Amino acid sequence: MTSRRRTILGDTLAIVMAGGQGERLYPLTRDRGKPAVPFGGAYRVIDFTLSNCLNSGLRKIYVLTQYKSGSLERHVGIGWAQLFNHELDEWIQCVPPQLRIGQRWYQGTADAVYQNVYLLEQDRPTYVVILSGDHVYKMDYAKLIAAHEERGAIATVAAVEVPVGDASSFGVIAVDAASRITAFEEKPEHPTPVPGRPDTALVNMGVYVFDTETLVRALAADARQDTRHDFGHNILPGLVGTGEVFAFPFVDENKKSAPYWRDIGTLDSYYEASMDLVAVEPVFNLYDAEWPIRTMARHLPPAKTVFAQEEPGGRLGIVLDSLVSGGVIVSGGRVERSILGPEVRINSYAKVADSVLMDGVDVGRHARLTRAIVDKGVHVPAHFVVGEDPEQDKKRFQVTPGGVVVIPREALLD
Amino acid sequence: MSKILVIEDEKNLRTLYKQDLERDGFDVVTAATAQEGLEMLESEAPDLVVMDIRLPGMDGLEAMSRVLDRHPRLPVVLNSAYSSYKDSFMSWSADAYVVKSADTGDLRARVKELVTARSGT
Repeated sequence: MTSRRRTILGDTLAIVMAGGQGERLYPLTRDRGKPAVPFGGAYRVIDFTLSNCLNSGLRKIYVLTQYKSGSLERHVGIGWAQLFNHELDEWIQCVPPQLRIGQRWYQGTADAVYQNVYLLEQDRPTYVVILSGDHVYKMDYAKLIAAHEERGAIATVAAVEVPVGDASSFGVIAVDAASRITAFEEKPEHPTPVPGRPDTALVNMGVYVFDTETLVRALAADARQDTRHDFGHNILPGLVGTGEVFAFPFVDENKKSAPYWRDIGTLDSYYEASMDLVAVEPVFNLYDAEWPIRTMARHLPPAKTVFAQEEPGGRLGIVLDSLVSGGVIVSGGRVERSILGPEVRINSYAKVADSVLMDGVDVGRHARLTRAIVDKGVHVPAHFVVGEDPEQDKKRFQVTPGGVVVIPREALLD
Repeated sequence: MSKILVIEDEKNLRTLYKQDLERDGFDVVTAATAQEGLEMLESEAPDLVVMDIRLPGMDGLEAMSRVLDRHPRLPVVLNSAYSSYKDSFMSWSADAYVVKSADTGDLRARVKELVTARSGT
């Protein structure tokens, strides 16, 4: 028997909500749930939250899955599980619906946790941290939990400051001068600003700490009522007034001038967050060794560019302002402001600009891709053109409101 | 008349609860196992369920989950000889937790209170 000192983090269980269907990310979610969507070349969306857990020292993690969870379970099992040691009472585990309580799909985020209350009973943590598996940001949850404990709160909600004019599309948190939450406003027309700062509002990040007993009582009561069974709509508003519920201002470990937190909710937000990575001075930094983002390690050869015929009409393999993953070969083609996933191949005279190419995409000679998202393994034939004629593109592919063309996995192009 | 479903595996207790609750003016039906009780839930449509936790086969906590999944607003009273289940998170969905004793007063009081609250809404 090992005897270990009690620590706050050791007494905290993390639950990552990873069951979202991701309808608005279709077709990227045709074969996988939202948290498993590849992002930033080498990563999956969930890697950001899991890296935050690891960097914060949280080592008891359940990932609640639901729709199309195979891809996610493989990723977590192969990519993450070996970092956690059962002998030290550490784990990361995907939990598909057990149908212990309800014989049905999860009805909401709160229902998902309620249906897994036996996990809380098994471990009996002092605190439970609830996280979303589909957000991109860097956050030290240890600071959040410490603030929760210091203030003796029953629940603490992480909140990011946004200009009040941009807050209407989010869940807004109204607070008093001591950051005590007074109300939750869902997509309010007129968001309540932070006291003393009329130009700023607090947006709910979907990152919560609860005292476990408070959480269980709230979930059990909510389950008996006709609600949306949602943390932001029901559980947290229901707790306001019953005890201290605080907002915790997001401390961004990304260390840029503006806090970075993105919900990868739509194809356009996915595209924009991807492009945030490739800027010369990226607003989201993957290269900070103090807050590493990790993923499933794959042993791939280094990326390579070939052909250096710089004369006009020559074959020139060149990549500018882009992220290039392992195993990529740019052979005589040109890539600008793009993300190339592992083992992508760009052939001679092809041109790829402002695009996201996932694992194994092969772009044929003279093909041109502009503002496109190309899912795994697609073979783009020679001379194929995408992103230059929206009317033509719309006949064959999904084109987002922002004008990004999405080519799904296994698409047969000719 | 409000109907109470009592799920209790001990015959003597079933008889006792039935007598006492009937004396309080309730219509009482009983089941000896959780499975039987779950079937009666549909056929008898009770207004409240009193259930033991330690039962042969499916235990009362799991049975309660199934009851509440189908009828979230149906009041459930857990009635156990053991107070230890009171700490189990799974028991916190119940409307009341009564520790069994020779005197049925506590159980009857909680049943009356919950039935009154229910018919009042």
